[in-house]
Amino acid sequence: MIDFTLIFRILVFPGFTFIVLLTLFCDWVERKIEARIQNRVGPMVAGPAGILQPLADFIKLLTKEDIEPRDAKKTIFKFAPLLAFTIMIFALFFLPVDGTNIFSTGGFSGDLIVILAFSTIANFLLFLAGWASCNPYGTIGSARVLTQFLGYDIPLFLIALTPAFIAGSLSIAAISAYQASHLLPFIVLAPWAFVLFLIAIQAELEKDPFDVPHSESELVGGLETEFTGAKLAFLHLTRDVQIVFGSALVVELFLGGPNGPVFFGIPWFWYTLWFVLKLLAVVLISEYITTVFARFRIDQVLSGNWRILLPAALLSLMLTVALVTWVYPLVV
Amino acid sequence: MSNNKIDILSVVASKLGNRVQIQPGYLSTGTIIAQNGLHRNVLKTMIDADEKTGITAITGLDFGENLGVYYHVHTSNAFVTIKAEVPKDNPKIQTIIDLHPGAVFHELEVADLLGVVFEGHPTSGHFVLSENWPDGVYPLRKNVKANEVKLVPTPKSEEITLPENERLVKIIIGPQHPALLEPEKFAVTVDGEIVTKVEPRIGYVHRGIEKATESRTYLQDVYLVERICGICNSIHAAGFVECVEKIAKIEVPPRAKYLRVIALELNRLHSHLLTLGHAGLEIGYETLFQYFWRDREPIMDLIELTSGNRVYSSLMTIGGVRRDIKDTDIPKIKTTLKDLRGKLPFYRQVYENEPSLKLRMKNVGVLKRADALKLSVVGPVARGSGVDVDVRKDEPYEAYAEIPFKEIVYTTGDTWARMNVRMDEVEESINIIEYAIDNLPSGQFRIITPRSVPAGEAVNRVEAPRGELFYYVRSNGTDMPDRVKVRTPTFANIPAFLKTAIGESIADVPANFVSLDPCFSCTDR
Repeated sequence: MIDFTLIFRILVFPGFTFIVLLTLFCDWVERKIEARIQNRVGPMVAGPAGILQPLADFIKLLTKEDIEPRDAKKTIFKFAPLLAFTIMIFALFFLPVDGTNIFSTGGFSGDLIVILAFSTIANFLLFLAGWASCNPYGTIGSARVLTQFLGYDIPLFLIALTPAFIAGSLSIAAISAYQASHLLPFIVLAPWAFVLFLIAIQAELEKDPFDVPHSESELVGGLETEFTGAKLAFLHLTRDVQIVFGSALVVELFLGGPNGPVFFGIPWFWYTLWFVLKLLAVVLISEYITTVFARFRIDQVLSGNWRILLPAALLSLMLTVALVTWVYPLVV
Repeated sequence: MSNNKIDILSVVASKLGNRVQIQPGYLSTGTIIAQNGLHRNVLKTMIDADEKTGITAITGLDFGENLGVYYHVHTSNAFVTIKAEVPKDNPKIQTIIDLHPGAVFHELEVADLLGVVFEGHPTSGHFVLSENWPDGVYPLRKNVKANEVKLVPTPKSEEITLPENERLVKIIIGPQHPALLEPEKFAVTVDGEIVTKVEPRIGYVHRGIEKATESRTYLQDVYLVERICGICNSIHAAGFVECVEKIAKIEVPPRAKYLRVIALELNRLHSHLLTLGHAGLEIGYETLFQYFWRDREPIMDLIELTSGNRVYSSLMTIGGVRRDIKDTDIPKIKTTLKDLRGKLPFYRQVYENEPSLKLRMKNVGVLKRADALKLSVVGPVARGSGVDVDVRKDEPYEAYAEIPFKEIVYTTGDTWARMNVRMDEVEESINIIEYAIDNLPSGQFRIITPRSVPAGEAVNRVEAPRGELFYYVRSNGTDMPDRVKVRTPTFANIPAFLKTAIGESIADVPANFVSLDPCFSCTDR
């Protein structure tokens, strides 16, 4: 029997279409925030207040000529961007957006680890894409992607364990449900971990001050240098989906996920609304950090990880374990 | 400073007096005619006597039978021209780069444009001219007509010589690159992330302006040399007209002098604001860039208000300026400057306290004072390394002698120091403009001068936003100049970049480079 609900959920809501639209919307919000902080107006032509600009950019890139460098490793060069995009979308399927995840289940125990692994794989595919383009800028840019995410994945995993420890589960749905049932988002219980997680996510998403793989003044386009047309469009979209993914992860782990008060009518509408609003709050914070800092140098980014963020993540984990064992049982 | 007391001409006279001919007072401080390789001895004597001795420019001239090679040398308190000549059929002269490494580019340029062979110079090949320029045709020689030159087919681009060590990667920055706003090529060899070698190639926007001036009248040339640089256009025009005024012995009315100072300082203001913002862009600090460029816009409006044009002011003319400042415009100028002054503390705070900016700029591209002297760097780059050179103070022109202002010197020599020199100079420029407006003399703002200029020659140094700008004009008595030589500040500052980039991270290259405030269309002319 064909499960039409599942097909609808995968293709339309809260699956593919919803995620892509949310991604384009977040891209617009980001650009608008950045522009306003920098005393500019930002996109304002396509659609009301320029809201259709990201879509217009995407379509424009699709229509552009697709050029493949002679020396490029064709197969990887072609498929890596598409595969990275697919994996990122797939990772988002596991996040409960309208109360449950896309399969209408509460997920499975350990899906937190799975989606973190997915994001690592996607980053690795991006690295391969740049490496396969056989361009010095692309090669160096993708080498930087690799060094950066290898470094920052470790503290990211460690800090992501903090909410898991408090909730006593490695399932995202369980973590967000725990926060809802206790009416206490983990940003209150573990604010230090929230700050550290934001920094790690910022570095994972290669946003300023950590956007060394994309520093156009040194590396032209970084790993994107040789990409044109549809491939470039999907690289850009992958990056934007990554940003949504990172922000959504923060929402699920620290801000109570899609849970919030349901006033009237259908609950999933309210869940989605709370989810999107919380997501935009995270995007706002992340974009603010992006605009007020200069880009670090690659060695500063790496030493910042190994010397500061990793020890801090370990300390945070130890603190959480101690608190969960001795303090929280008294409070919660 | 005891150096300021050195009378460099008498030092040379006492050591080499019987072998060279000294003309005190001719062409600034004096001229020394040193034939048969004696130019090296003169230069050596001067360097030994004064640590601040450096080569400002080398001018090549075509005298028919002979080629002239003029070394324009600056010391702490004097400006001397050493004249040498070589026969055209055997144009060989000893190099001076072993005495003063800062002369490398100057010699390459003279070799390329006039065919003088500098014996002992390590590199050869086209430096300014394009690859398809025929060998043996030297454009600045008088017998070469621009429209008769037959270009050769462009040679196949040389095989990219892979570095022998596999760890090394050669990254080509330019001619098209987002870090460069203008086309110029730097082949950077990196070992991992560390730069081990930088090879420059300039000339991508060489327009032959020096040659073109020779076939235009002096008045046309004013506007032609203004086009050498879009950003510091007034200072180019000023440098040229002052040179012509020196030859023709024209005394400019006092009001014109003040009006010129106002125009030049407005130029410096917008140039410095541009660079301070652009530096933000290069280190990935886009917000800083947007803010600076927002505040630069009112200055552009002032330039339009006072000159009629937003970018190319076309204000300077021989004998004065073309437009007066209306009394009704003065309040607007003053409020705009006051607004800008009010914003400066914020920017200063950003440059001083913003941690990520300091991480990217402190101890990056450090140029030590000794190196700065050896390479003859100019302007904010030199002043950031603790060398107090500022033509406005050293050899005041226009009304600068009457206007009080501070000379900004930082001693750390890094990118941060160079940017802060500019930050402080923005404030000094505001002070200068306000003083000039308050003390604007009355009277006429230009005098009518004859079209022809009597035979003669003159050198002139002015302080452009990017550093010392040098003009040499030689007149043959007609209404067209015989030779115009321009040495732009970036030309003198590129060696500093080549020196400081090595051993640093490739990520520091843009920040280091932009701190020179490079202008390639100036460099190429």
